[in-house]
Parts: sequence; structure tokens; C-alpha cells
Amino acid sequence: MGVIEARDVTRRYGEGGAAVDALRGISLDVAAGQFAAVMGPSGSGKSTLMHILAGLDRPTSGTVAIDGTEITGLNDKQLTLLRRHNIGFVFQFFNLLPTLTAEENILLPLQIAGSKPEHEWVESVIERVGLGDRRRHRPAELSGGQQQRVAIARALVSRPTVIFADEPTGNLDSATGAEILAVLREAVDTYQQTTVMVTHDAGAAAIADRALFLADGLIVRDAPCKDAGDIMAILADLSAR
Amino acid sequence: MTRYALRSMASHKLRTALTAIAIVLGTAMMAGTFVITDQIRNAFSDIFGTSFAGTDVYLSRRPAFGNGTGGAQVGPLPASLIGRVRAIDGVSKADGQIQAIGSLVVHGKYLSSQGGAPNLVVSTLPKPFNENTLVDGHYPNGPNQVALIQQTADDHDLKVGQHVGLTTLQGVKPVTIVGVFQFGDVSSIGGSTIIATTFSDAQRWYDRVGKTSTISVDGEPGISPAALKRRIGAQLPHWVKVQTGTEAAKEQTDEISGAINSFFTPALLAFAGAAVLVGAFVIFNTFSITVAQRMREFAMLRTIGAMRRQVLSTVLGEALMVGVMASVIGILAGVGFAKLLGALFKAIGFGLPLAGISVHAWPGVIVPLAVGVLVTLAASFAPARRATRVPPIAALREGAVLPRTWLSRFTPYIAGLALLAGILLVFQGVTGSGPTTQRLLTIAGGAILSFIGLAMVSRYLIRPLARAIGWPLSIGRGASGRLARENTTRNTGRTAVTAAALMIGIGLVVFFSVLINGFKQSFIGSIDESITSNLIIQSHSQGNPVPEDAVRAAQGVPGVDTALGVAFTQVKIGHGGTDAANGIDPATLPRLYKFQWQKGGSDALLGRLHGDDALVEEQFAKSHHLAPGDTFQVTSIDGRHVTMHEIGQYKDPVLFSGFMVSRGTYSELTTDHNPQVLLVRYASGTDENATTRAVRQALKPFPDVNVQTNSEFKDSFSKQINQLLYLLYILLAMSVVISLFGIVNTLALSVFERTREIGMLRAIGTTRFQLRQTILYESVITAIIGGILGIVIGVVLAWVVSLGFRSSGIVFAIPYGQVIVSLIVAAIAGAVAAAFPARRAARLNVLEALQYE
Repeated sequence: MGVIEARDVTRRYGEGGAAVDALRGISLDVAAGQFAAVMGPSGSGKSTLMHILAGLDRPTSGTVAIDGTEITGLNDKQLTLLRRHNIGFVFQFFNLLPTLTAEENILLPLQIAGSKPEHEWVESVIERVGLGDRRRHRPAELSGGQQQRVAIARALVSRPTVIFADEPTGNLDSATGAEILAVLREAVDTYQQTTVMVTHDAGAAAIADRALFLADGLIVRDAPCKDAGDIMAILADLSAR
Repeated sequence: MTRYALRSMASHKLRTALTAIAIVLGTAMMAGTFVITDQIRNAFSDIFGTSFAGTDVYLSRRPAFGNGTGGAQVGPLPASLIGRVRAIDGVSKADGQIQAIGSLVVHGKYLSSQGGAPNLVVSTLPKPFNENTLVDGHYPNGPNQVALIQQTADDHDLKVGQHVGLTTLQGVKPVTIVGVFQFGDVSSIGGSTIIATTFSDAQRWYDRVGKTSTISVDGEPGISPAALKRRIGAQLPHWVKVQTGTEAAKEQTDEISGAINSFFTPALLAFAGAAVLVGAFVIFNTFSITVAQRMREFAMLRTIGAMRRQVLSTVLGEALMVGVMASVIGILAGVGFAKLLGALFKAIGFGLPLAGISVHAWPGVIVPLAVGVLVTLAASFAPARRATRVPPIAALREGAVLPRTWLSRFTPYIAGLALLAGILLVFQGVTGSGPTTQRLLTIAGGAILSFIGLAMVSRYLIRPLARAIGWPLSIGRGASGRLARENTTRNTGRTAVTAAALMIGIGLVVFFSVLINGFKQSFIGSIDESITSNLIIQSHSQGNPVPEDAVRAAQGVPGVDTALGVAFTQVKIGHGGTDAANGIDPATLPRLYKFQWQKGGSDALLGRLHGDDALVEEQFAKSHHLAPGDTFQVTSIDGRHVTMHEIGQYKDPVLFSGFMVSRGTYSELTTDHNPQVLLVRYASGTDENATTRAVRQALKPFPDVNVQTNSEFKDSFSKQINQLLYLLYILLAMSVVISLFGIVNTLALSVFERTREIGMLRAIGTTRFQLRQTILYESVITAIIGGILGIVIGVVLAWVVSLGFRSSGIVFAIPYGQVIVSLIVAAIAGAVAAAFPARRAARLNVLEALQYE
């Protein structure tokens, strides 16, 4: 049992001869408080998997449950509310609103949900991601790393069941990327925040508890993470086959 | 590059269509104006052509001066002239005709014409002068017989043999309908009622015994109308105007054409111009946004070797094609617009005869085409220039920003100067001297300049305005309200131009509301202040007098203290323009009218008003440099000269402009000395309602007079003014509609630009409804900004114009109710405009939006 339960998920794009199978039958569980990395080369289906798990896309067949709720049958409104309350996002390109300050961006999910922010909680999140002195700045006045910290805080603030991070370091230099990963890891540890991160960077995957390797729409390996070298070895092994 | 521009348009069909509509509507108004004015002109040309088809030579009284508006009626000719003309060698036939105003009374009810067209009474002319076609019965050939035009008979279900009444200057006369005719071969002329009587009946009933209005002459075979005209002219006094039938038809047609060309066409074109100006704003904005959005595309073109000039021609090429396409569609739509206008005029009571629709290359096609294309090109030039400044490196970098030009530092000052200069120009146009056309053009130019200036300045007002307007939303409506407010201030230039397009429409609406309200308040205020009568009585037919018998009948009603007829006509003053001569009874007027005496005058002056004495209005004295004791020359329409002697001055530029003389003297200045207005005051202590009923009863024999209490009179005056205002609103609605398309376009482009942002918002839990609300609020905030700016500029311009009319007694009065309504209309317009872009945004696929680059 996990907060994410996927069973025999397939996803087919297009029809007839031009049909492409992005996912060909994936089952997985992510336990509460776990930090899982999803790895795989381009076209392996890792992004599609994340979109389906996050309720942004629908599987062609199979089921997905978040925190025990079957989500594949939900309508748009129900899915939106699911995302609002149970899911947080961290994107590769940050996706902050340029008109809002860092703090306003962080509070945005609560605003949208119409719920009152708990002052202490918000302060703790802002402190945790290390944005204390930059909170009044607008995205354009922040560095890439700072922007991603805002995005992580925004994902944390609504205490979602699970955070999905889509290549969170993909648009950052390696030093800044490492900082961001550390922030994520700390958040998982401090708040027992279940997190799923899609990445093709072995170094990034190494900070997770567990790595899932996808190839051609199937999970080909599911292993605990030791270090980047171990993951590189697995990748090399997979590509050699 | 042409192909490139074409492709770009084709791949953005919606954007192209929305941009084009901005120009389509303006050019349609323009083309429609030419079509409908042509229809009116042709209709009148047909009417007069028919009237004079069988007439070789036409005699009438020569007016002493051009017949201005509200003009004096030219007097009759002596009937003895008919005999004299008949005796002239070469004349085969000559007959007189009386033309008067009157209509039928059926079952006690006065038949008005449709939509303010005249109620005409004419005496029947024999062949060959009579160009009417009998449909039923015969023409009147004995006393108390009438024939009527088919439309009137049809409208009121009148049949030959029916006994009805006819209003005359001697009360209602019993008549029998003996015939129904068509005018030429049409059943109606623009809704006029036309009643034909015999010549002698008309002479007796309309104060023309021994006289005739006109004389129609038919020549012997072999003599040309021109030769006959010369021969007749040589034998008659100079005050008889002798024309060939063709000349008379042409002169009357030209008179109508002149009125159309000098007022109707420019007025309609001004509204079309406003629509085109709004369209220009929309085009400027759309091109600015798309150029910004296509920066990477232009940079790419530049990296692969496109010259700046080529980038410029890509954008201008697109503008050219949009302009041509939109103008052509607009010209076609113009025909529909002309029909709409025709129906509109009829609906609000402007009965105009309309000939068939015909479109002429000049000016009906060429002018709208040229204006549409040039305006589109001009409006897109600045954005096109900006496109050329995109550096090639922008192709590789996300979020490249265009360099600011050195000029942009001065923009706020230039904008402020333009705004001020515009307002000053309007003031100069209103107060300055010079030809009317030139002054109107100055006013129009000033208004355009001030609109553009305010549009540029408003960029700096967007932030505070949006903050203030969005405040309640951000408190009450949570995230949607706050995001909407932030979005309106995101690109202030864009919001400013979008709002400015709406500002023009709302600004003009407010401008006219304020100005016309001022006029209304001045008139009503003057009545309240000065007129102490209980009743104000006029004819139902515009410009028709109240018979003296009616005045006497009112005076005879118990409880009536004073019944006073007031007559007025236009006369020529010295060698200059015309002004009003008011004929009053000095003994009774002060009982009904409170004088505002100037230069130490008092009611005692009225006792001295005899002979050639005149009391002059302050403005009249000023413009003719008169002081008490001075004299001035007056010429009546019939050419009689009288020297007036000023004995005092009063102030009332609204009700009694010009000068006042006693009724006796007045009758020397006109042939029609019946009063136009009858004021009735009750004796103190009488039961007002009972007396009013008694007066109505006593005036029953004069069904064409309209008995109104002062408040009824003011109400019906207000109603008439409001109808004019509604017409203006409808004409301005087009400008508002165009700006609405502008809002739709801007929002749609903004939504497109923020695709990824919308994806993110949806991903983190924003519902479709919340997203739609955000866009709705953004639109409403923008629209309210436009409304507020419009109200400000409208009120300021109206105030400036009212300054110019202060001497004519026009006050400046803001109709707060109407102003608030216009703001609400702006907000509603914003809500309507949001519908489509909001739907689009809500429908975006979250995943695709997130991955959108």
C-alpha cells in the first residue's frame, strides 16, 4: 500500500498504424514519505507517467489511485480539486507568475483554494527553502535557483499528498542544481513529504530513496539509490542491453 | 516576403478577422453615409423633377435673403399677376397655386404626417402642370372638396365620399374627399400628408384672398422655356422670381443637397470617423502585441539574412492586405448600414424620402477604401518599425526585450502636450471666428488630438486606476480578482490602448450627453425662470402658426387672465446675417414673462414700445454694436426695409433672441402674422385643472393646436431632445462595438501569450471557472478604466465647448445619471468582450499549455 498506486497503466497516442504506445503496462506503489526518482532516456515514457500520476493526463487503460482515491474516472473539476489539495508541482522552467512577488507566488495555491495561510507554516516553508530575504522580489529579480526555491515552497505550502518535480534541475547549472536537490531532500526529510521526481540526471536521482528506470514504456528496473555511480552503472547496463 | 505575410495572416485567421472587423465597421458607416445621402438627394431630385415636369416657367416671390433654418416663409404674389402673365405673347396657359400647411381632422383627431414630414395643403393645378396620377375619384372642382395622396388615404383608411375636416387658418372646415392620387407614380413622399383643394378654397382658408403662392406657366409650341422666361421676366417687377421649370427643380434640389452636404453628410461622417479612429487604436494595439509575440520569428528572419526593410514590409504588407480586405467588406456592408440608418431615422421620427440604392465609385467607394487602407497602414506603422529593431540575437534568447528609443523618454511630455493642445484647439474652434466648416474641422482635429494624447498619458494612470478599480475584486473575489488586477498592470501600454479605444466611444457619448443636457437645462431653466403662464400652446405641425381665432377663443374662457400670441420670424439685419424678430403685445407680455432688463431698463419701457421701437436682446446688441437710442436696418423676407429704433435691452438668449417689436410693427416684417406660440395665464384663485379642461374644450375647433401645461411642454421638449440623444447613442454604439472587438483581440492575444502560465495555474488547482473569472475581471477592469477616461475627457471637452456657447445662454450641466449609466455600459461591454477569450483560456489543455513554448 502506498499513497500512489498505479496498476497496469498504458497510454497510447494516436490511432491505427500511427499509434504510439508511450506506456505499455506500468504498475507501481510509492509509499508515504518516500522520495522516488523516475529515470529513463527521452521517449522512455517517464514524463507521460508523471502526467498520468499527477492527474494531468488520462491513461488509455489501467488505474491510478492517489491516497486511496481512484483518479482515472474523475471529471475535470474533480481532477482540478485533486491537484489543488493533493498534488504539488515543481517545473523545469519554474513557471512563476511574473506579476507576483516571491511570497505571493508561494501563497498562490492557498489563494486559489480560498484557504487562509497559517502564518507559522508559511514562515517555516519560506525559511526551509532559504528565501527569507528575497520574499518581496518578483521573479524577474531572482536568479534561476531562487526562482526554483520559490516553486518548491509553492509546492510545499498546501501540504500536498505528493509533489511531482519535472526535471527540477534541468534549467540550472550544476552547482545551483545541487542546492535545489538538497532543498528537496531536506523538505522530504523534514515534512515526510512524498515526492516523485522525473530526471535524466543520475546525480539528481542519487539523492532519492529509490529509482525507477523506464525504457520503451515499461519499468525495467526498480532499485534503492545508493549513489550516482551506482545509478550510472544501472543506466549503462540498461543501454547496453 | 509577400507570400510570407500572406501565410502569416492565413495561419492567424481569427486574429486577422478580429483586426479586420475594427476597420470593416468604420468603413461601412462611411460607405453607408454616402449611400443614404445619395438616396435622399435622388429622392428629392425625383420629387422636384416630377413637380416641374409640365412647367415651362415658374413664378414665385423673390426672397430678400437666403432662407436660413427656422426660416421665414416667402410671401405670396398678387393673384392679378396671373392675368398679366396670361396676356404675354407666347404664354399658352398660366395658373396659380397656393401652398400652405394643414391636415385632415377625422373623428376629431388631427392626422399628423409620419416622422415629422410636413403636412401640406396645395391647391389643385390643371394639366399640364399637374403631374399627379388619379387613383380614385376626381380632383376637387367645387367648394369644400379635397383629394389626398394615396399613402394618407391608406394609412387612415379614408375613402372617396367620406366627410372629414380640414384645418385652416379659420378653424376646421368641413370637406368631402373626392379623389385619391399618387405623386407622379409614387404613393408617398417621405411620409408627408398632401391634401389638394380648389384654388379659391385655399385662398379663402389660408389667408390668401387675391393672392397666389406661385404661378406655373406653359408656353406656346415653338417657344423655348428659356426664351419665355426672359420675355416674362422683362415685363414683371423685380420682386417676382422668374425661373424655367428645370431651373426651379434644380434650385429646390440644390437647396436640399446643400442642407445634406453641409450638415447631414458631415455629421454622419463624423460618427464614421470616430468609428475609424477607434479602429485605428485597435489595429495599433493588435499589431503591437503580435509584433512583440513574433519577436523570435523576426529575429530568425534577420539571422537568415532578411533586411530591416524586408521585416518592415512583411508587417506593413500584412496591414495593407487587412486594410484592403476590411475596406472592401466594409463598403459592401455599407449598403446594409444605409438601410439600417433609413429605418432608424424613420423610427425616431425623421421622415425622409429615399430613392433606390445606388453606389458610386466617387465618393462612395474610393473614400472609404482610401481611408480604410491608409488608417490601417498608419496605425500599424509604429509597430512595424518596432519589428525592424528586433536584434537577430533575440532568435536564440528567451525573453529578449526591445531597446527603448531615445524618443520614449519624452513620451509622457509629448502626450501631455498633445492632450492640452487638443483641448485648446477645441476651445479655439468653438470660440474662434471663421467659416463654420473650418471651425468644425478644428474642433474635430482637437478632439482627435486630445483622445490620442489622453490614450498616451493613460499609460501612466493604468497602475493606480487598476489598483483602485480592482481593489474590491481583490478583497471580495480572492485569487481571481487579485490575478486579474495584476494582469491589467502587467503591460500598461497595452491596457492603456485597449482602454483608450473604449474611451473614445464612451467619451463621445458623455460629451454629447453633457452638452445636450446643458442645452436642455438652459431651455427648461429659462422657461421656469421667465415664463409665468399656465399653458404653452403650439401647432402640432412644426412651424405652423396658431390661428388668431384660437387666441381669441382661449381668451374667452372664464378663468383665463391673459392669452397672448407670440410671433417670430427671421429677418435680415443691416447688411449682415439674419436674426429673430419677435412680435409681442407690450401691454400683456409682462404678465406672462419676467424680463431681465439690462442697462437700467424696466417694464416701463414696454409702455413706450410703439411704431418702429424695438427692445433688443443683449447678445444682439453686442453683435450689432447697439446702445439704447441707436437705430438698425431690418429687411423682411419679402424685401421690405424698416429702420428700427432701440429703446432698451433685455437678456434672454434662449427664448427671445434677436429683438422684440409690437405685433403691429411685426406685421410689416412678415406676411404671415399669426403667432407661433400662444401663452395662457389663469386669473389668480382659479381651479387650474378645471380651467385647463375648459381651455382644451374651447380649442376643440382647432385640433391642430397642441394644448400643453408648462410641465407637459417641458416634458415633450425633453422627450424630443432625448430622441436626438438616442440617435447619437446609436451612431456612437458602433465605436463602442469596435472597441469591444479590440478588447476581445487583446485578451485573446494575452491568453495566447500566457498559455504556459495558464497551464501552471490549472496544474496547481485553478478551476476553469476561476480562470474564466480572472479573465472576466481583467476585461471589466480594463473597460472601466476606458469608461472613466472617457467620462473625464467627455466632460472636459463638453465643458470647453459649453464655454463657447455661454453667451447664447447654454449652461454646463452634467447629467450624473447618464454618466453613471455609461460607466455601467462600459463594464458590461467589458464582461461581454471577455466571454470568448475566457472560454478559450478555460478550454486549454493543461498538459499542452504547460509544454507550450
